[in-house]
Amino acid sequence: MKVLVAEDDPDIQVILKMVLTRLGKCDVSITYQGDQVVPLAKTNHPGLILLDIMLPEMSGLEICKALKADPETKSIPIIFLTARSMPAEIHEALSLGARGYIAKPFDPMTLVHQINEILAPVGISLGA
Amino acid sequence: MENTPTSFEPTLNATVRMLRTTWKTKICLFLQVDDHGELRVRASDGLPVEKAAALTLKPSEGVLAQCFSKNKIVEVEAPAPLGALGKLLKGHPKKGEKFVLAPVSGETRVLGVLVLGPFSNKEKMLPREAELRSAGALCAVLSAHCRLYQWMSNFMPKLNHELRTPLTAVQGSIGMVLGGVFGQVGGDVKEMLEMAQKGCERTVHAIEEYLNNQNPK
Repeated sequence: MKVLVAEDDPDIQVILKMVLTRLGKCDVSITYQGDQVVPLAKTNHPGLILLDIMLPEMSGLEICKALKADPETKSIPIIFLTARSMPAEIHEALSLGARGYIAKPFDPMTLVHQINEILAPVGISLGA
Repeated sequence: MENTPTSFEPTLNATVRMLRTTWKTKICLFLQVDDHGELRVRASDGLPVEKAAALTLKPSEGVLAQCFSKNKIVEVEAPAPLGALGKLLKGHPKKGEKFVLAPVSGETRVLGVLVLGPFSNKEKMLPREAELRSAGALCAVLSAHCRLYQWMSNFMPKLNHELRTPLTAVQGSIGMVLGGVFGQVGGDVKEMLEMAQKGCERTVHAIEEYLNNQNPK
């Protein structure tokens, strides 16, 4: 499955690419710039978007809103993967139409399992 | 009432209203020095809110300068010019009236001014200096609390983010090595990595306990 990751920390980018490629068997594309997410989603047609909240140029919350408002991208499941974990922020992120929320720091060995649990209701699974 | 950055605003405005009614005046303003060294109306009663919010004054201007540089209570009688403050108090003070400007002092400097009036020119203000200064201090304390809560509301999520992001890289790398993604590890290396991983977990628990739960409410 194609996964688009929006993450601005280079170390976390490496970890996510490794985990999703090796354990999730995914085709991973990564961007660190918020304003690149919507165009990339339109050209790459990913099956999942992992989205950080604090990104340069455009925040994850704004990106989520834009993706959900566009008929071309609104059906792509979005999971927030972010270090901002205040309850109000989690509530705001989910109210915008994201499927779930994974707080940093995450355990790389269970990340794919966590993603699969969130995506189970829509019948999507990584690692197959 | 629960204290939040927004709940302090009505408390501060209510305090200014209380001061105005206690001193039996038409207008009470609390002007505070902002981060740029300019005076802004922090709370007011008896004036249109929009008009008060838009006004910016320089502490070095006109009668305000006497209040600031000498940390002294100043009485301004009509027709003495009020400078820029006069625009806000348009029509006041009238003949036979005066306004009182009381400095709001911090430990080392004047933080703002409490403006009260109009009073009759005959009213003696000096015997009530301590009362005036206490009223100003009350406004300053409330305003300081408000600013502290606002600062904490911004600072806590930032600190949370700045600590969690590098921890993700540290914990993630260790987790993958221990999880056998790059081959099995054992013996002393495994023991050392497990120790590092426990340290990360303890730090995450500390962040959750101190930052998430201690967010100002």
